[in-house]
Amino acid sequence: METLILGVGNLLLEDEGVGIHVIRALEKEPLPPNVHLMDGGTGGFHLISWLEKYDRIIMIDATLDDNAPGTIRVISPQYASDFPPLMSAHEIGLKDMIEVMQLSSGKLPDILLIVISVLNISNVGMNLSPSVEAAIPEVIQMLKTLV
Amino acid sequence: MSKRIVVDPITRIEGHLRIEAEIENGVIKDAFSSGTMVRGIEKIVRERDPRDVWAFVGRVCGVCTSTHSLCSVRAVENALEIVIPPNAEMVRNIMANVLFMHDHVVHFYHLHAFDWVDVVSALKADPSAASAAASKLSDWPKSSTGYFKGIQDRVKKFVESGQLGIFANGYWGHPAYKLSPEQNLIAVAHYLEALEWQKEIVKVHAVFGGKNPHPNYVVGGMPCSINLDEANAINAERLAFVKEKLLEAKTFINQVYVPDILMIANVYKNDWSKIGGGIRNYLAYGDFPMGSYGETETYKMPRGIILDRDLSKVHPVDANSPEEIKEYIYHSWYTYSKGNSEGLHPYEGETELNYTGPKPPYDYLDVNDKYSWIKTPRWKEQPMEVGPLARMLVAYAAGKQPQKDLIDSVLNELELSADALFSTLGRTAARALESKLNADWALECFERLMDNLQGDSRMFDPEKWKDEQWANKSHGVGLTEAPRGALAHFIVIDNKRVKNYQMVVPTTWNASPRDEKGILSAYESSLIGTPVHDPNIPLEILRTIHSFDPCLACAVHLYDPNGKYVHAVDTF
Repeated sequence: METLILGVGNLLLEDEGVGIHVIRALEKEPLPPNVHLMDGGTGGFHLISWLEKYDRIIMIDATLDDNAPGTIRVISPQYASDFPPLMSAHEIGLKDMIEVMQLSSGKLPDILLIVISVLNISNVGMNLSPSVEAAIPEVIQMLKTLV
Repeated sequence: MSKRIVVDPITRIEGHLRIEAEIENGVIKDAFSSGTMVRGIEKIVRERDPRDVWAFVGRVCGVCTSTHSLCSVRAVENALEIVIPPNAEMVRNIMANVLFMHDHVVHFYHLHAFDWVDVVSALKADPSAASAAASKLSDWPKSSTGYFKGIQDRVKKFVESGQLGIFANGYWGHPAYKLSPEQNLIAVAHYLEALEWQKEIVKVHAVFGGKNPHPNYVVGGMPCSINLDEANAINAERLAFVKEKLLEAKTFINQVYVPDILMIANVYKNDWSKIGGGIRNYLAYGDFPMGSYGETETYKMPRGIILDRDLSKVHPVDANSPEEIKEYIYHSWYTYSKGNSEGLHPYEGETELNYTGPKPPYDYLDVNDKYSWIKTPRWKEQPMEVGPLARMLVAYAAGKQPQKDLIDSVLNELELSADALFSTLGRTAARALESKLNADWALECFERLMDNLQGDSRMFDPEKWKDEQWANKSHGVGLTEAPRGALAHFIVIDNKRVKNYQMVVPTTWNASPRDEKGILSAYESSLIGTPVHDPNIPLEILRTIHSFDPCLACAVHLYDPNGKYVHAVDTF
């Protein structure tokens, strides 16, 4: 089973880019050969062609919800509407993709979503806030167990 | 008494766009466009190596990611006086044409079509009548009764599951939808096909750019080596793959996208070729050099300005001139060291944020004061519309082929005069016609690349790569056409590092607030005079704003933080 770990987010908007930071940290870790990493950036529609190649996709993204910054939640979305409140527009394509895969082929990869609650997303900057940064090792441990 | 309605996405960060419109007797009397862009990019790139900037600015936006990288390397090359090898110019052209095709198709089908196409009505269509109608539109093979029946059944099942999802944002049943059920079904089928198609075309970016999204660029050329016989380079097999994708794109655009636009234009032309024109000036930097970037006369899309819709004259534009392009902040949440009324050329640009708007959540912006994060750019103090329509009009006025004949033939087919171009429909049609040209140009650049590779394999010019050879101080501008309009990056280099970096993006021209003199920019102006059937469901506003391909077209839909559809209406 081929698994893709896909980080998405905008690297230039501080915590918004936490998904990408996780991928960069994972690049330094030993992983089984059937596990692939992808920095999806703010790819949206551009990502769709990559996603259908995998049996399982674990997406990592930031969310702005009521939880404390650094809170990690694992969601297995059934429908696109199960995705948490959008952080930025980069998920539009992914949501559409999932629905259209449902609509056109009925075949969907297993999708697991790991969301990290964040704090700063409206400032331009490339550093994470400390509580969000501190969540990364835990996300990595979680991913290692999952794969 | 007028009503003010608000169209606002509330939770969106990137490309957040809000429209407030005042409606009197069913017609928009005034409109205010407010938005946040990722400004302040200079904070991130300041003091960095100019050769690295493309990698950062490529992350600014998820929609036109490679455009910003291209514009950035052009700005640095301009500052350092680098001319890149012809192969690299052609590879950049192929990638940019691919981006245009991808962006135009995705924008139309996935962000704009449902302003014209009623999905719910498609469920009532007779599949055999849809098949007959589709066969008349073009030779596209997916047009059998069984095919349309299958699409209809799948959409029906999807809608009945209660997960409206991608179809949740339409104003289904609105009386302004005019297509027949069969036409609606054809468009819905093509919506799904476009999603399949777009997955394929972006693979060209991965071939030349190493990865996608956010493909790689390099100052001085392109970071890809082509060797027809080498397994680890871009070889004959990879190039054949690229050509196959370009040919598929051409077929899709000619047999699906353009015929659909003509079908929709025919139904809506009586109203929508007269609505939504807005301001009367158009700016294009031009792009797709067949010679080198500095040889603007070799551009497929010409550079220039049209004033007051006068198609008999094209005015020159000089982005380097301190007297031409300036950004103003009279209605924008910034401060300038020279005060509130002064305009600054981007080389002197400042980005001092100064939010003075209401504390969210709020009902209305104070539009008499500052009301947007977007600055107001002006060319010689005049507002400009940018985008596919601006590019097509500049080409048309310049007598440039094939643009001129293509526009004339379509006007002729639709029995419309050139005045019809200055409208919402004109904008939407210009985008489709442009993508048809992009398909041809991508293939032409591909063949040019193949020919040139016979005697010249250079893809990168190393001469000025080493920073010891750079002047101590330099500055440059990179100009490109992004799918949604004229894009400029300005760089000031001091002692081998970035001292200032400013981007004037297309949506800044189009979506900016009015200036100190009260002269409106493109979005605001385009809404004035538009009849709105029902202020609770302002489909008409979406049609016109979406026709510009706003940075994120979806952003003018209304959501609450749970993704539910909301709207705000009040008496003003």
